[in-house]
Amino acid sequence: MAQETNEKAAATPVTMVTLTIDGQSVTVPKGKTVLEAARSVGIDIPTFCHHPKLKSVGSCRICYVEIEKMPKLQVSCATEAMDGMVVSTNSDQVKQGRRAVIEFILLNHPLDCPTCDKGGECDLQNLTFAHGTDDSRNDFQKTRFREDDMSTTFDDKSIGPEIVLNRNRCILCYKCVRSNKDAFGEYDLGVYERGNIAQIDSAPGEQVDNPFSGNLVEICPVGALTNRDWRYKIRVWLTETTPSVDNFQSSGSNITFSKERQKNKIYRVTSRPNDDIDDGWLPDITRYGYQIVNSPDRLKKPLIKKGGTQVEVSWDEALDTIAKRLANIKDSKGSVCIGGLAAPSLDNRSLYGFSKFFRKVLHSNNVDYRSDCRMLPSSSDTICSRLAMQPFSISDLDDSDVIVVFGSDLIREHHNEYLRMRKAFNFNGARLFSITPYAVKAADIAELEVVHRPGKEEFVLQAVCQAAVEDRLVDDQTAGRFREQVGNVDLTELCRSAGISTDSVKQIARALASGKKISFVVGEIVTRSREREPIAAAICNLNKLFGLHDKGQVAILARYANSKGAQKLGVVPVPHKMLVDKMNVLWSETPSCEAHNTDAMLALLKKEEIDSLFVLGANPMMVYPDLQFAREGLERADFLVACDLFETETTQLADVVLPLCSWAEYDGDYVNLEGRNQTARAAIKPIGESRTGFDIMAALAARFEASDLFEVDAIESEISQMLAIADTPALPQEYTQVRASEDKEKDGFDIPLYLCDDPHHSGHLTEKSPSLAEFSGEAYAEISFDLANRLKLRNGESVRVESPVGKIIIPVKISEILNTDVVLLPRNFSSTPTTALMMRKRRVDMVKLSKVDD
Amino acid sequence: MNEVLKAVGNVFLKMPLGFVVTLRHFFKKPVTLDYPYKKKPMTPRYRGKHYLERYDDSTERCVCCGLCAAACPADAIYMEPEENEKGERRAKIYEINLLRCIFCGFCEEACPEEAIFLGQDYEFSDVNRNAFIYTKEEMLVKHPRKDNPFKRLYRRVRKVHGVTDKIS
Repeated sequence: MAQETNEKAAATPVTMVTLTIDGQSVTVPKGKTVLEAARSVGIDIPTFCHHPKLKSVGSCRICYVEIEKMPKLQVSCATEAMDGMVVSTNSDQVKQGRRAVIEFILLNHPLDCPTCDKGGECDLQNLTFAHGTDDSRNDFQKTRFREDDMSTTFDDKSIGPEIVLNRNRCILCYKCVRSNKDAFGEYDLGVYERGNIAQIDSAPGEQVDNPFSGNLVEICPVGALTNRDWRYKIRVWLTETTPSVDNFQSSGSNITFSKERQKNKIYRVTSRPNDDIDDGWLPDITRYGYQIVNSPDRLKKPLIKKGGTQVEVSWDEALDTIAKRLANIKDSKGSVCIGGLAAPSLDNRSLYGFSKFFRKVLHSNNVDYRSDCRMLPSSSDTICSRLAMQPFSISDLDDSDVIVVFGSDLIREHHNEYLRMRKAFNFNGARLFSITPYAVKAADIAELEVVHRPGKEEFVLQAVCQAAVEDRLVDDQTAGRFREQVGNVDLTELCRSAGISTDSVKQIARALASGKKISFVVGEIVTRSREREPIAAAICNLNKLFGLHDKGQVAILARYANSKGAQKLGVVPVPHKMLVDKMNVLWSETPSCEAHNTDAMLALLKKEEIDSLFVLGANPMMVYPDLQFAREGLERADFLVACDLFETETTQLADVVLPLCSWAEYDGDYVNLEGRNQTARAAIKPIGESRTGFDIMAALAARFEASDLFEVDAIESEISQMLAIADTPALPQEYTQVRASEDKEKDGFDIPLYLCDDPHHSGHLTEKSPSLAEFSGEAYAEISFDLANRLKLRNGESVRVESPVGKIIIPVKISEILNTDVVLLPRNFSSTPTTALMMRKRRVDMVKLSKVDD
Repeated sequence: MNEVLKAVGNVFLKMPLGFVVTLRHFFKKPVTLDYPYKKKPMTPRYRGKHYLERYDDSTERCVCCGLCAAACPADAIYMEPEENEKGERRAKIYEINLLRCIFCGFCEEACPEEAIFLGQDYEFSDVNRNAFIYTKEEMLVKHPRKDNPFKRLYRRVRKVHGVTDKIS
């Protein structure tokens, strides 16, 4: 019903209705419910089953109101507001109705609030106090859902790695089942049985382990679904809250830390609904990732390598050593011999301080934040970088009628955008198209899923353009210019080489031509590819041909919490011209020496032309898509400094290791993928002796007698000036010919390998979170059912994955989604260095699989 | 002569009259106790040292819900919960600082599980401050007490709410 009303609202101009609620006149758009109308003027009506982001079901009936001329009480969450309605929300009849509903709900609700984790923040507790009676007429046994052991009053049941279900407490509001189905597109939770014994349960034989399962616990109005993470830890009234921002994904979901100040410990993360970003849903990475903050493995003191082993030293000694060595290298060999890698999850101040320290103090241009990309271009004014700087808005996905996901497995990379896309489909009837080299989860609601041959991305886009021109979907002038500049390519030939059908290409072309508001979302598979330039050029062709920019948005989604900030603050070797101009104004000069990106730095380290590398929070040994290359480079470094929260592969090689604060320990600003600058507040004091990235940079600058450059107020104003540069670089005006580029095939290696993130992990940090490790604790190779069948592999059996440069043995996981021959390896587990199989010069890494015989 | 007789009469007749209250006490039971060899019985509602009650099957009653700590005006109670082998909520740490405690009895009143009671024991003195932090092990009774007058009261309330006792 809600879908119909929404569609209607989109089609016709909004008509307003006026009604009277408690003597107050309220005007709302037609289609809104009485509940929404009342809440819009601040009249509160109690609810259990209503959730603003879900359709109404009216199952709890606590939201009773009295409407004149209607014989009975009505549930306000499912009654549409009509012109001239006279509504009363606190008449005697309503109060009596609410009291009866509370009594009815409490019939079978156990009074085990003392042991219930929800106690203190429970809707049922609160509403019973507000509207219920203080006595009960119930004198029979309540329904119990436990049969095996009656000696305990605890009927908890584990239905997932993190979720505990207590069916006795459930009041059947169905919010969990509805959100799981409608918002997350997961079907692992359902309602079973009817009547008195109706119960929520996981689907037979399944676990509730989807990447959004934590939300089910948060929206449960009672303690029926609780977290293992929060189970029996602390009472909610003993905690304090701090508003913060997520650090594990780029959309920057708004979160709240619950902490206890005296113990300097964070107890949980809950959402802080922001309709522009997260809609109140948090992925599990965000919800349980906070556990790394209080992990016992945190680095607590600086380490210096003395005689082969790293020993704990004081901060002064560590910083003095770094300053001395860097000054030495700078004086003897020149500042070009020093390089720096920063993590794109650090806050603005750290990243800016990093860039300023290198450029202004060391006079080196070798700074980069992209340690997970191969073969980066030396210039940064490329089509791809321009495309990455285009504006993007998450909430615009809601009302897009055509959404194209190109080269992205959204559920692994961009959780919030994934949910937005499902919302657009479920509630607004958007048409989805997915173009990826392997089948993805998001495609289950797609009108068309195009799985092309790996490494042929630009061919698909070119084929779409060609199809539009051939089918006269664009006007003749545009088509003529396209033909003129690109030349006529045979559509069937293009489709054949990309491994797709011409019909599917034509279908996408028709959708793009007819769509009124189009979102074209580009993901990691493109940005991590060697051939990101031709692909970006093909995207620009498409953009120009269909006028996508005028009809919506085209954007490469930034991947990490502050990638966009790093981009805008110029933490790249050659920043965009407008950024350099601004830096010249702010700093009076910028170094003019040669600039090297991550690739070049590693290559030069190997050639011993760069002597020193300063790594701030990044872990190139884990994420750089050629482990061999990264290791050779880092091992030859004369002087390697690594700052991190934990001991990583990179810190093991380092001469000096500095402990870094996590984002929960200091106030920091982060720019999300839309360019929205958000502040995360410090929840606890720094663990051990760890310091923030900015403090480290400022302390080093002081040793170079440049501390006046790092005064906090000045830095803050410089950052705000850098971020205020609003220009977006223009995309090319001409069509570009797409050239094919292929790898030389090597015999025997015939299965393409893609590196991805596990849906429950993000980068190298989340491995330290025990809850996330429960979901997915060790690396695996994800392959299709067909391929597993051919290799005679069963789920969990070991498979040998071999590439020309390396081999690993890894358990296999048979995917329900993949349908082509492709291997997906998650890169989040230090136990299995999946990048060891990759070669940086490859466009698509090819491997061969074989069964390991025991 | 008369004067002399009067004085003698005063000594032998009036002095005992003046001491009659004192003398009466010669024949009464003494009000003082031979403490510490004998102890005074306290009233049933006396609020002395706390004890933690057990169920009839001698499992702990306390579920570490934190209501006593929340009710405590002196902030004398500290607790940390844990999960026992059945998955139930139990106290891992339960401590009362008797130096802080003002024996108001709010904890007893707040307790929804009839677990904590203020007992009859009033003898706590020590030379070490840390000894006044009483732990769960020190407070837990060895065997469930059968004759607690408050328990019966609570049980009636529980019956109204449709909750039967664990082992009935």
